[in-house]
Amino acid sequence: MKTNKKEKDVQELTVRYRPIITFRVRKALGAQNTDCDDLVSEILSQVLEKIKSGEFRGESSLGTFVYTITSRRIIDYIREKTKVMKYAPEPAPYPDPQEILETREMSEKVQSALSRLKPRYREVLYLYYYQELSREEVAQRQNISVRKVSELVNYALKLIRKEMKI
Amino acid sequence: MSKCKFENLIDGYLLNRLSERDKAAFEEHYFNCSSCFQKLQERDLVIRIIKNHPEVLAVKESEARVPWLVALRKELAAWFSLRQLALAGITAVLALVIILTVIPRNQVKGPNFFLTDDETVRGSAITLISPVIDMNQIPSSFEWKKLGENVEYQISIFNHELLWKASTKENRITLPPEIKAKMTPGEKYSWQAKAFAPDGTLIAVSSRVQFKIAN
Repeated sequence: MKTNKKEKDVQELTVRYRPIITFRVRKALGAQNTDCDDLVSEILSQVLEKIKSGEFRGESSLGTFVYTITSRRIIDYIREKTKVMKYAPEPAPYPDPQEILETREMSEKVQSALSRLKPRYREVLYLYYYQELSREEVAQRQNISVRKVSELVNYALKLIRKEMKI
Repeated sequence: MSKCKFENLIDGYLLNRLSERDKAAFEEHYFNCSSCFQKLQERDLVIRIIKNHPEVLAVKESEARVPWLVALRKELAAWFSLRQLALAGITAVLALVIILTVIPRNQVKGPNFFLTDDETVRGSAITLISPVIDMNQIPSSFEWKKLGENVEYQISIFNHELLWKASTKENRITLPPEIKAKMTPGEKYSWQAKAFAPDGTLIAVSSRVQFKIAN
């Protein structure tokens, strides 16, 4: 019984934190980095190991505990990689077919939602997200207030989020 | 549903605009907040699609707004906030309601009366106060009920024909001695008042009242 509960806890922890760790690792190393998945698995193993050995004493939240392990491992990886990079080139990135399959549908929904937005929303999103102008710069470019820029961006995102959930 | 205070950092995080301190704080936060993490994933997808397919945001020529309308909108936006524009709109609607409802009631009514051949008065009329019955002596003044400010009254006194006609803005007029001298006891007389607006429009007429001066 006890073993079953432990297995269930491990499963829940993995389901909950794998996507978060993956996001953090990819943000730090780049989504095309082929080491990402290995690193995520390694971090999850470390987390489970430390919980098992009683290193997690509940002084902070579990989320913060996982975050700390993830951040440390990323720093270590970058250090190691910098050394390796002196001798070997970066492996060629390749797309993950499964991931493409999973995100394709969602990606199509978002593209469709973006293309159906009114021109004024599209203009603002293009300047803000594609050209990476600040809200102040977008406001100046469009001759509207900064508050209006925020309203347009937020409303556009709200519409897109609605489409993503359909 | 209340908004998490870290939500405002999502764009800054994904567009690499946060300081190292804010970045670390936000990263620790989304390890603990599933709501923020979900929004972070969604936003990340949106930004990646925009970065990879900017053509979906292209504005076609046929969609371009009418230039003068754009200029007007920009001009208005430069001067007024959305709230001020809404307030101006509400004020305009209220003003229109007042114009259409209240103001017509306060306007001076037009002549909704007419005189027939035998001088019958219908519609708006002036009420004559004195003289309206037979008099013991020649009346020295004529009086009627006032209609309002800035109204000119024209008084006419007849026997068989018009004896005297005069105008005043008061609701009373004194008979001049020379006219008084023309009136004789035992005779029948009649009088009538007409009211005119400042622009000369006839706005009311009294009935023609007859009185006799006793012997």
